[in-house]
Amino acid sequence: MNSAATATSEPGHRAKPRPRRRELREVTLLVATFVVVLGVGALRPSFMSFSNIEFMVLSSVVLGLVGISQTFVIITRGIDLSVSAVLGLSAMVFGLLSTTSSMPLWQVLPLCMAMGAVLGCLNGFLVAWLKIPPIIATLGTYSLYGGLTFIYSNGLQVDQVSPDFAAFGNGNLIPFLPVPTPVLALIAVATAAWFVLNHMKFGRNILAIGNNAAAAYNAGISVRRTLLAVYTISGALAAFAGLVFVAYTGSATATTGTGDHVELQSIAIALIGGTAIAGGRGNLAGTVIGSVFLSVVITALVFLQVPAIWYSAGEGLMILAAVTLGARRSSNP
Amino acid sequence: MSRTSGLLAAAGIDKRFGANSVLRNVSLSLAPGEVHTLMGENGAGKSTLFRILAGIHQPDAGQISLDGAALDLRNPSAAYGHGIYLVPQEPALLKELSVAENMFLGMLPTRGRFPSRIDWKTIRGQAQDALSALGLDVDVRDDAKHLSIAQQQLVECAKALLRGCRIILFDEPTSPLTGREVGILFAIMRRLRGQGCTLGFISHRMEEVSEISDRVSVLRDGAVTDEVGRDGFDRARLVRAMVGREVIFDRRRVRREAQGEPVLSVRGLAHAPVFSGVDFDVRPGEILGFSGLIGSGRTEIAEAVCGLRAKSGGSVMLAGRDISTSSIGDIIEAGLVYVPEDRARHGVILPMSIRDNATAGQIGRLQRKSGILNRGREIAIANDTMHRYQVRARGIDQPAGQLSGGNQQKIVFGKWMSTNPKVAILDEPTRGVDVGAKDEIYRLIEELSAQGMAIVVISSELEELIVLCDRVIAIYGGKIAAELKGADVTAARVGAAFLGAEAH
Repeated sequence: MNSAATATSEPGHRAKPRPRRRELREVTLLVATFVVVLGVGALRPSFMSFSNIEFMVLSSVVLGLVGISQTFVIITRGIDLSVSAVLGLSAMVFGLLSTTSSMPLWQVLPLCMAMGAVLGCLNGFLVAWLKIPPIIATLGTYSLYGGLTFIYSNGLQVDQVSPDFAAFGNGNLIPFLPVPTPVLALIAVATAAWFVLNHMKFGRNILAIGNNAAAAYNAGISVRRTLLAVYTISGALAAFAGLVFVAYTGSATATTGTGDHVELQSIAIALIGGTAIAGGRGNLAGTVIGSVFLSVVITALVFLQVPAIWYSAGEGLMILAAVTLGARRSSNP
Repeated sequence: MSRTSGLLAAAGIDKRFGANSVLRNVSLSLAPGEVHTLMGENGAGKSTLFRILAGIHQPDAGQISLDGAALDLRNPSAAYGHGIYLVPQEPALLKELSVAENMFLGMLPTRGRFPSRIDWKTIRGQAQDALSALGLDVDVRDDAKHLSIAQQQLVECAKALLRGCRIILFDEPTSPLTGREVGILFAIMRRLRGQGCTLGFISHRMEEVSEISDRVSVLRDGAVTDEVGRDGFDRARLVRAMVGREVIFDRRRVRREAQGEPVLSVRGLAHAPVFSGVDFDVRPGEILGFSGLIGSGRTEIAEAVCGLRAKSGGSVMLAGRDISTSSIGDIIEAGLVYVPEDRARHGVILPMSIRDNATAGQIGRLQRKSGILNRGREIAIANDTMHRYQVRARGIDQPAGQLSGGNQQKIVFGKWMSTNPKVAILDEPTRGVDVGAKDEIYRLIEELSAQGMAIVVISSELEELIVLCDRVIAIYGGKIAAELKGADVTAARVGAAFLGAEAH
């Protein structure tokens, strides 16, 4: 302790009112996103076309949904590597049911989400009851769930979903409002997630556990049940993201999700957005904007005619750059 | 706030952790409106006893009762329910959450029907009021990570009061505080006592204990050895109760006055405000004791001497060479080693084998020219360590983590001594080690000193200092408070210096 620290640490003496630090991360990310959009748009006008913007928005919805669930998991000091596999399995179930069965959308949709919840619940059980470190538990279920997709699809792929189902992906729920249904869904999910995290006991318990699980337990918070719920929600949201994916791309393969490393993308989004990898602190607005940023960057690489073999490396560099900048800021409060 | 707490009594408490018996048939009662202090050496079981009363640990035997009614304290929430709250040694506030939220952790009030929202307004208002009542002026919306330790402790007090707790146990609250902060804490403790609260307190500092306590219980090796009321305070009596058997002090008959040039010479070592003005010499073949409480700065001084911690001033000479700015590697090479206090963290790599641990300090010397390790030499060194230090293990390939604390310590010793140092600084060399192994470690230290090594033993155990050392330096508040040698190295003198009672 130096003398300055001692002066502010005396209990009876009010520390100088600390200015509530504006979190600038969202602003920085938004600016970065616009810079990329305008820059690439100037070079390649078709980047700014309506159909491409719609494509980027829809793909950021997929990333955003998984990113939000990953944010919750990371806040608890956990990680969920199985989200991409759940996304892929859900996409496959949805796609096959839409083409091979006569089940209506309103039945398939909750069925897929319930399946995602069950798979997430298994993750939660492994982590909270069997005390398996999250990274190991979900690495195992990543392979398991990804393998189920192969078994279920028998290697087949879905090329065309029925128009009813596709309508869910690119239709408008509210007439006269030209906003695709998935975007409305993301807004609803993000708002609900924000409300839960800031204004409900469940959300505060998640934060408390991420800060110090032992202290949370000592304060009477049920750590195991909260963790189970967080992983269950993560599974359900990943499944929902899979539905959105199939609905707007119209296809599903056995490597949907896992092939694009959506699990790593979702972690990157959460970290870019300002969620602490050590848990206890999360930024949902940052996650949502981060998903837009990542989707724009990935699409920009395509438009800039970067050779396809460079995509993965380019994406990785962008993520590292964003996370490094973020880490420097947060280590310097 | 005038309701008094009941009489909290623990009777016949036994507690073991694994093979280690921490409390044996301990009985203690805390009366309403008193400050009841636990004293005892490190490891005597004070914290464990408080943690049992607060529902964090469950006793293996014995009973806890409040006003005669038996309590079942299966977890901390149950203890809160009975009005018992422990302010832990390290305040466990959640750093990224606001002060207000921390105070209501696990009992956040909500309003409205589903989805019922957290009532932040009520939380902030009540939290602010509770802190103001204690005279703590911080913004409850601020993150807890911005508070000082002293402020965090007061927030813990306020948490206790918000939960309606009237029995508040403080586990060694003053060791990280400045004198002024201690004054503020004591003022609040007196106020709470005046309101009929029962307060438990742990401290090593004699003057604090006599200032605040109404009653003192002394624990030694997991058993209560004495209990005195306010009128019966007597330093000598308390020290005797803490330390016990004086017979063992006779073991060392001769305290040598080492001759010759000092091999390690420290002048004006400082790093404000942790320590300052530290001067001392150690001569070959001498065993110098460093006594002092945890937080006195003794470990920090040793780390600064060995280049493990920054210093703002002063010089360190090793065998005539200035090493104050040398790298850690050079310092070890020059012949000064530090064997740290926390074996598991800094000393021994638990999952690795005895062989790997024993050679870790000189792995560079075991390389052949090709860069491949000389396995035969490795095995020879490990076997030699096992033999010389009498390590009891199945073989050199047994993981160190499976050995007892004493045997782990012997390996750490072997690891450092195999580098043939001129000076060794041993921080709490027998912490967590059973009596038999303790004796063997003492013998080893004496043997090394007889071979001409200069040894500094840092210890908070009086007995250890008296048994081992030729000379004892007492550190108090980051300064050398006293130096005792020859016939002055007695339990009474060292004990008094250790508690800050013996001024220069």
